[in-house]
Amino acid sequence: MTNSSDLAVFRAPVAGFLAWLVPGLGHFFLGHRGRGLVFLVTITATFWSGVAIGGVRATVDPQDRALWFVAQLCTGANTAVAFAMSRTLTATSQPGPKEPSKYVPPYWVSAEVGVHYTGVAGLLNLLVVLDAIALAELAGASARKQRLRAT
Amino acid sequence: MTGMCTLLALFTTGIALTGPQRLVLMLPLCLSIAVVYKTTRCELLRQVPLAALSLWVTIVIGMCAVGVALWVLFEFMI
Repeated sequence: MTNSSDLAVFRAPVAGFLAWLVPGLGHFFLGHRGRGLVFLVTITATFWSGVAIGGVRATVDPQDRALWFVAQLCTGANTAVAFAMSRTLTATSQPGPKEPSKYVPPYWVSAEVGVHYTGVAGLLNLLVVLDAIALAELAGASARKQRLRAT
Repeated sequence: MTGMCTLLALFTTGIALTGPQRLVLMLPLCLSIAVVYKTTRCELLRQVPLAALSLWVTIVIGMCAVGVALWVLFEFMI
């Protein structure tokens, strides 16, 4: 039979996973709803602003911008949706006889700005994931202390 | 349906950015960095706006100072 202290062991990994999947969801899970809402709005707005500035195909590009894509992956579901959009657009747009098969963004400056926005959004969410894990660990540690004092 | 297509079109093609106006785009990015960082650091949520604004101003002034220093260095080297 499992008791509450056994389940508390899973709080930190679950909070970290939820925070990675959707920015701020880990803090919602831990009861910090205000902070979760701030993270959700700020990181999601930064990521999708970057996609809107650079265009999804130029911004989320795991082949030409592999390291930036790793940073973008830290936003979890946002990157998954953007990557799916990018793949769908690439699959539906067939290159003509004079067009190159590789996608070349029309505005390289906006593509660079978009990549920076989305990459920074990913790195900010990494900070949020670590914060959620630390909060869960701290809550677990203080609960253990209280139990020890009670016994 | 038309609204959905317009919304999707917003994300498919990048916007045209030319000239030094693109530097203005660092302001919202720095703001989001300041907001997220200060939200993790402040104990009370109501302390966040002032702390984030202060950090945002610090980041922008710091980056401008680094930019000017690099520009002066570049001018002397040429």
